[in-house]
Amino acid sequence: MLDYDIVIVGAGPAGSAAALKAASEGKRVLVIERGPEPGSKNVSGAMIRKDYVTSIFGEDMPFERNVETIKVSLYNGNKPVNIEFHPDGLVTTGRLKFDKWLSSVSEKAGAMVIPKTTALKLNWENGIAKSLITDRGEVSAKSFVLAEGVNSLVSMESGIKGDWTPENSVQAVKMVYSIKKGDLNTLFNLPDDNTGMSWRMITSDPLVAGFMYTYKDSLAVGIGSPIKELVDRKIRPEKLLDDFLEMTGIAEKVKGYSLREYSAKIIPEGGFPDINVARGNVYLCGDAIGLVDPLTFDGITPAIASGTIAGEAAVHNYDKEIYRYNLMKDPEISKIAKERKLETDFMTGNKAGEYINMVSSMLEGWASGDLMGIRNTMVSNYRNLIPDLMTFVMRMR
Amino acid sequence: MRTEEKLYTLRYKKDDKSHLAIKDENTCLECTAKYGEPQPCVSICPANVFSWQNNRIVIGYENCVECGASRIACPYENIEWNYPRFGKGIALRYA
Repeated sequence: MLDYDIVIVGAGPAGSAAALKAASEGKRVLVIERGPEPGSKNVSGAMIRKDYVTSIFGEDMPFERNVETIKVSLYNGNKPVNIEFHPDGLVTTGRLKFDKWLSSVSEKAGAMVIPKTTALKLNWENGIAKSLITDRGEVSAKSFVLAEGVNSLVSMESGIKGDWTPENSVQAVKMVYSIKKGDLNTLFNLPDDNTGMSWRMITSDPLVAGFMYTYKDSLAVGIGSPIKELVDRKIRPEKLLDDFLEMTGIAEKVKGYSLREYSAKIIPEGGFPDINVARGNVYLCGDAIGLVDPLTFDGITPAIASGTIAGEAAVHNYDKEIYRYNLMKDPEISKIAKERKLETDFMTGNKAGEYINMVSSMLEGWASGDLMGIRNTMVSNYRNLIPDLMTFVMRMR
Repeated sequence: MRTEEKLYTLRYKKDDKSHLAIKDENTCLECTAKYGEPQPCVSICPANVFSWQNNRIVIGYENCVECGASRIACPYENIEWNYPRFGKGIALRYA
């Protein structure tokens, strides 16, 4: 049987961060990846913070365009209220190139990466995992990191955590259209081939969060909606995406351009700190413990942060309470933990829709100089929505 | 654009063995009586993997985009959901 110090399941951002950390500390590390190559099973927006990634994985990160404008549209009915701002340091990236690069950095640090191999289950003895069984055989190790993504089958099979429920998961579908650089620049008023934009849209009924990102020579668009709502109302996710493209005017823009790829992904809207994150010598990180920022949709930053911490825990074989504490101490992760309360509110009833209507009507009142309108909106919400929001804001640290 | 046309954009290697299965077909009858058609798995799947034919759920696993929604949406935890083996299934290029 193969034997390593540390075996990591998944060569995504979390797994590669764990591998980089553990290999840099001189451990013999094996990464098992189920796809034909890292990134080939991964779906995301994907907008990332370049400085953060570079601070851990070094220079030469592949990316598509610098995001110089983020537009946010709140749809209350068919007329949106728009907000535009100009962030620093955000770039768009395609997951195949990005994840392959992350994995190659971990390999340079000494990790061994084996693709086309699916992890099936852990072999336990007295609460300690002895080996990992894959479709190509068994490998033993002193500790394990499960960075297996949102469908965390090995973690669930081991009884470390349960599955997501329709109440705490979002179904997202995404399409990428091929659009020549020059055409893309014209369509979205981009000054050159390196400058991009991102657009986020939220509709209140049904609750849909949409996104659009410019890549180098393509356009990524997608939507996410709570599974509970989709199932209860028998709404097909791809139909929702089609309607959404019509409503936002994107359908008109992509007319005549060909669809390059269609994909789908579950976005977890729950998890750490409300679930188990380790058992014995096995540490979970990334999407497997629900680390996606509910406000920015960024899952890559917290995946890298938690992967690094999991890699360290695996090196020192930390107790699970120490691992949990270390996760909580990390600013990228604690931010998500603190947003859970608002997230739970958003996922239940039609609270999200009410927030969106309140904010959009206040902004509209502000823009049109209708101070009485703002007053009326605040008065009508002062008993329920505003106190909830204020309580949430006051508790943030 | 039809779902099938969207799925044509995907690179795919078929595993001979299905990575998806219904655990108990009687449960699907119970589900249909309670939730009607389309059933939760049929309606949530973005790749038309599930269809209701002759009073049973038929699985076209070769269409699967491996998102996991059907497993979560099934009110009876009646879908056995695994990953394809040996690097098979979808291979994304631009997502």
